[in-house]
Amino acid sequence: MTVNPLSWADPDPVAPALRLVPDLPLPPDPLGADVLPPEASLDQEVLVRRVVPLTHDVVQVVLEPTRPGGVAFTPGQYLTLGVEVDGRHVERCYTISSPPTRPHLLSLTVKRVPDGEVSTYLHDRVRPGDRLQVTGPLGGFSVAEHPSRRYLLLSAGSGVTPTLATLRTMADLAELEATGSALDVVVVHSARTPDDLVARAEVEALAATHPGLRVHWVCETDGAPDRSGPWSGPRGRLTADLLRAFAPDVADREVFTCGPPGYMAAARLLLAEVGADPARCHEESFVLGTAGAPAAAAAAAAAAAQGAAEGAAPAASSRADAAGTEGEVEGHLLAAPAPSAPAPVATSVTFARSGCEVACPAGTTVLAAAEQAGVRLPSSCAEGMCGTCKSTLLSGRVEMKHAGGIRPREIAQDKFLPCCSTPDGDIVVDA
Amino acid sequence: MTTTPSRPTTSAPASVPSQDGSGSTTRAAGRVGPLVGSAAAEARAHLVEVLDARQQGRSLPGAAYTDADLHELDLALLWQRQWIFVGTVAEVPEPGDYVTVELGTASVLVLRDDDEEVRAFRNVCRHRGARLVEEPKGSVGNIVCGYHRWTYATDGRLIHAPQLAPVEDGGVDPACLSLRTVHLREVAGLLFVCLAPEPPDDLDTLSRTVAPYLAPHALGRTKVAAQVDLVEAGNWKLTMENNRECYHCEGHADLVCTFFPTWGLADHEVPPRLRAAHDRYLLAEEGLHLACEERGMPYAPVEDLVEPPLGFRIQREALDGHGESFSRDGSRLVQRLLGELDEARLGRLTLHAQPNLWCHAMADHVVTFAVLPLGVDRTLVRTTWLVHEDAVEGVDYDVDSLTEVWRHTNEEDAAFVGLTQAGVADPAYEPGPYSVAERQVDDFVSWYVARMREEVSR
Repeated sequence: MTVNPLSWADPDPVAPALRLVPDLPLPPDPLGADVLPPEASLDQEVLVRRVVPLTHDVVQVVLEPTRPGGVAFTPGQYLTLGVEVDGRHVERCYTISSPPTRPHLLSLTVKRVPDGEVSTYLHDRVRPGDRLQVTGPLGGFSVAEHPSRRYLLLSAGSGVTPTLATLRTMADLAELEATGSALDVVVVHSARTPDDLVARAEVEALAATHPGLRVHWVCETDGAPDRSGPWSGPRGRLTADLLRAFAPDVADREVFTCGPPGYMAAARLLLAEVGADPARCHEESFVLGTAGAPAAAAAAAAAAAQGAAEGAAPAASSRADAAGTEGEVEGHLLAAPAPSAPAPVATSVTFARSGCEVACPAGTTVLAAAEQAGVRLPSSCAEGMCGTCKSTLLSGRVEMKHAGGIRPREIAQDKFLPCCSTPDGDIVVDA
Repeated sequence: MTTTPSRPTTSAPASVPSQDGSGSTTRAAGRVGPLVGSAAAEARAHLVEVLDARQQGRSLPGAAYTDADLHELDLALLWQRQWIFVGTVAEVPEPGDYVTVELGTASVLVLRDDDEEVRAFRNVCRHRGARLVEEPKGSVGNIVCGYHRWTYATDGRLIHAPQLAPVEDGGVDPACLSLRTVHLREVAGLLFVCLAPEPPDDLDTLSRTVAPYLAPHALGRTKVAAQVDLVEAGNWKLTMENNRECYHCEGHADLVCTFFPTWGLADHEVPPRLRAAHDRYLLAEEGLHLACEERGMPYAPVEDLVEPPLGFRIQREALDGHGESFSRDGSRLVQRLLGELDEARLGRLTLHAQPNLWCHAMADHVVTFAVLPLGVDRTLVRTTWLVHEDAVEGVDYDVDSLTEVWRHTNEEDAAFVGLTQAGVADPAYEPGPYSVAERQVDDFVSWYVARMREEVSR
């Protein structure tokens, strides 16, 4: 931060008195400024060191540069990976999921796409010691390009990768600590099931140990019984109410959104609805179904066409994967839960302000669920008369049997009485 | 501007010199609530002296406006014994909606119950007496005390009192702990309360007389377009007196665009400079009477200002200009007319009721004024503009335009009242004679003297 010393030593006599108040802190320098080396070409052959399974269909591919001196990029940038598949050279773009603070190895996080040439190759065939060709770094979808103290990182599906790189970088640079000019970062990631949450333990551990970071997962449905099992967090697709609950100050945040096109379109509408500043919203979309460089061009054009809201040059780039999967991936992330989804035995009650989530068995009131979760709601009559526990329902529906403690007008404003309400499906409560 | 729900924030000058060296103002300082014991007897004796000292045709002695003990007697003998205007049905449109009104230390909760009836209760919990509802207006589900969550249904029944011993264990029967009710009557949409156990029966007379005048304006189908609370730095009687004459109306630049300046004058009393205006008035009156007769609407003056506790006056009178509403040219301010009215040019129906109401009902809107004493020299004037419930703000009306004339007029009146309060507190003040245009002021003061004389002797 720099303060013009003149504003202290020699105040302009005609300036308003407010000028004497110290300036607010300037926006912070770009993340990693003066710490990380400036971006440098990655173009080289790299060695595969490890292929680490992260989830049932995602692996982390760890690559070692063959040139000495490490690599330099900004979190959120991607590279183009070229592989030889059955004698053909095929290229795909992948975000670098490792942080630039660990310059000796590069990690890519790769989801298996059925019939996807490159992802199938990386999942099934690549072995440590294999050599691949990378070019980059590419793209400007990076918090380093948009210095701010407060960020909202929105992602869905494989769009989590820039978020991973960003969080790892921030943590490594001690930018998420409680003291000093720490950053305030909210992450909201949508996945189909909890089984699909990539690096969940790592991200939750970061959130648990870094006061500047809050993480919210939104899943459409439960995980497989032999994996994560039932999902007790927010369920369904991202909604404006959820977004408001997770980031009530969204207008003051630099927003980065990454996911498949359907998610991006939905997120854009939600952000407009909750009052995000369009000039501070940045997007990167996956373009599926076309490969390599042509896809990047198409995406840039598409982004430019829709980019009016962004004002500045579109910050979008693209990553491509195999053909014929867009519908499937998009459906996973955005459509209503699959009809085959098992009926939940208990609904989930989320208390947005306290960040608690609890399973609410059938017939249990929201007030009882709150007590179970350690969320203290004021209450007295517990019969819907006195209205002491009146709360706001941020999403979902409840069955309420009150005794005059609330008015229709209040119910129309999403108020309800937790003491005499049972959830009808998953709900989020402003408490 | 929108409805202002807040309590009055304007504060009046705090100090009032004591009157005639009696020292009673000083003696009362810091005390809240009715006088007791010998102080009460002393104050009553002082009141009788002041009433006796009043001369017909002249204003009241200064102590009537400045003495804190006499003000306590105003509250106890008048405000807490007779019918008081507290607002309109439009202010409590839905079940659970309420307004609270302070009459001295007594607070009244007026609310619409679950059966859509408007009721009034003492705003005091039956447990340990906590004030139940603090806000001047709002909405509740049931009525819940903020202290220990005792909960009353909107009909006043105690329905939840945590840990209160049951009757079987020697506890008190909750049926004996309902909220104390306050008499409430609706007169064509106007709400009156009375704190006396046996309210005076004159409300029936008022209701029978004025309801047919007000009915075409359908107050039950109106909504509050705006409400403004203004605190005048004067005794409540000065506020009422000021309202009873248009002798000062040259001080109301906006109002005189449509308010004929000869109001209150008999034909032979009209000064030459107002002759042209008066002729216009007579012509407009003729047109108005015709329009009223065609529609079977009463317009003739009815006046009973001095005798009954609830002295009142009602009349439909013409307005200048287009004759429709309180705008600069007299044209309507709300496109949607009230009720089923088919004619905008119906002048103003003016109702005045003592001690604390006046209102004007035009074809397009109604404006009501509730006067509530806050202290011996501080008075709240709550002005409420009502429009048809289906009128749309920004389409059918504009709040700023709708309220402009009376906002300005009220502020001007507040200044006049403030000047008068300062003057009657001056040792040099002695009651002066009323002009012919101030007959109704004289009537009001005579009513006050008669009321207080009767009540103090009870």
